[in-house]
Amino acid sequence: MTRVAIVAVVLILMMAPPLVTTNQFLLHLAITVLLWTLLGASWNLLGGFAGQVSFGHATFFGVGAYATMILYLRLGLAPWYGMALGGAAAVLVSLPIGLICFRLRGPYFSLSTLAVAEIVRLVALNWEALTNGPVGLLITALPPVALGTRGINWESKVPFYCIIAVLAALAMAATWILSRARLGAYLLAIREDEDAAESVGIDTVRAKVLTLALSAFFTGLGGGFYGFYFHYVDPDAVFPIAVSVEMVFIAVVGGLATVIGPVIGAVFLTTIGELFRERFQVGHLIFYGLFMMLVIRYLPEGIWGGARRAWTGRR
Amino acid sequence: METFVQSLVSGVLTGSLYAMIGLGLTVVFGVMRIINLAHGDLVMLGMYGAFWSHVLWRVDPFLSLVIWVPLMFLGGMLLYRFLLRPIVPGGELNTLLYTAGLSLLIANLALFSWTGDYRTIKLPYAITPLRPFGIAVPIPLALAFALAAVITLALYLFLARTDLGRAIRATSQNAEAAALMGIDVERIAMITFGLGSALAGAAGILLAPSLYLYPTVGEILIAKCFVIVVLGGLGSVAGAIAGGILLGLVESLGAVYVSVAYKDTIGFVIFLLVLLFRPSGLFGVGKA
Repeated sequence: MTRVAIVAVVLILMMAPPLVTTNQFLLHLAITVLLWTLLGASWNLLGGFAGQVSFGHATFFGVGAYATMILYLRLGLAPWYGMALGGAAAVLVSLPIGLICFRLRGPYFSLSTLAVAEIVRLVALNWEALTNGPVGLLITALPPVALGTRGINWESKVPFYCIIAVLAALAMAATWILSRARLGAYLLAIREDEDAAESVGIDTVRAKVLTLALSAFFTGLGGGFYGFYFHYVDPDAVFPIAVSVEMVFIAVVGGLATVIGPVIGAVFLTTIGELFRERFQVGHLIFYGLFMMLVIRYLPEGIWGGARRAWTGRR
Repeated sequence: METFVQSLVSGVLTGSLYAMIGLGLTVVFGVMRIINLAHGDLVMLGMYGAFWSHVLWRVDPFLSLVIWVPLMFLGGMLLYRFLLRPIVPGGELNTLLYTAGLSLLIANLALFSWTGDYRTIKLPYAITPLRPFGIAVPIPLALAFALAAVITLALYLFLARTDLGRAIRATSQNAEAAALMGIDVERIAMITFGLGSALAGAAGILLAPSLYLYPTVGEILIAKCFVIVVLGGLGSVAGAIAGGILLGLVESLGAVYVSVAYKDTIGFVIFLLVLLFRPSGLFGVGKA
């Protein structure tokens, strides 16, 4: 019962911002928080449940972003189809990556994902015919979309807010379903002891590749959204190591393998990042790094994990 | 032919400095099984140390090794004792992310105090390169190569010949057995982290006259650093040296014969291939 109540409260809170404020900065902050919730939740599917620490998820984010932008700029494909296809493109890219990198374990897996991400970033930077290289891709106008009697007003932030809220909720729903599904149990077994999991007949490679594909799909959706929201992508914005690392941070700060964790991680980390960005000219990530270190030191299970433990401990 | 020899020479020179960066990381990994993501930022601190002592006190960057290396050693030990040690029992992932947080903290503190401006160290003897046999060798790079060779040799002798060095190698091979033999493993871990930090600082100082300095340079260095140590085998000192020189060669030959734009990509592709087919390193000496 408490569980349902918590989920209901979180969903209501997620829908609230555009109803209670028209302040552009606050709405932008809320959109950023939800985008990172989506990304943290996507990473969490693989990293949290299966314990496979990817440092290369920026690849899927970037592929999703570029696929969506290129489909729109070249073929005029509307955002929603574009984002879904961006997710699909990320899935396609994830399959060979998974088959290669999952041959490795532990820190070696993490290093290999980092290497793949760097290779993809360098290719995006140099393949100018497709990506326009370091200059990036720019959208000057979004397509008119009819909604009821009026079109969607792309100048406002509200439609973007609604889109990202739905996407983040979908990623959280996927996390919840995974935690109930057979695949989720396989992944937990892999996280705890991969050899043991294999010896009881779990096809570990298949389970991991499937989960990576799911995780890449949501990450790609996030990338597509990023492109449409900011109207601009370039390799340094969507492919850097920093994006991959931030996704890991959010999942860990919130609480690994939890449904609510990524929301909490994104709320704390994004707010800290954005608030200090306002105050400081440079070096606003000082507090971000410090906060990260403090959480790992004092709440190794993440904020939500720690809170849950405190709650059950008291009863 | 001359281009080939020229790129060989500059490959080996740069590679020796890459090896210096890799050494610190591999030594720390060997003993503590920590992949220190803040290692690149420690190198960055060394670079800025050389820069500031040159600008403020007119100390030659290479001479400034004497000031900064002992300080980095001390700083590294304190860093381990007060910040890292409480985290290590929490597991590999937490330690990895903790050092990632530390990396953000150090890089952004540097951004805050020194701004993001690109800086260079201007040395009077850097203007005209040496030209043995018609091959251009920049003097700062040659000096850095010589000092890197000396430092590496000193490290080798220290690890091979002294009691403390033996204790470090023993802990790296099997920490429990080392503890049973009466080695204070905690102390060794602290000293090793100090050593790793000192090596990072030294690498930074040697690199400083040949590179642009900016606070987030560590990001690029750490990525190269992984390539280096995995090529040679994570945890192996000899492997880090070989890996560093190999990467230097691959980059400089790749830039000439393949493409300047893709020279870094070649390094990463080789890295992936080695990870897949020889995860214990090209020479099979690392710990997979």
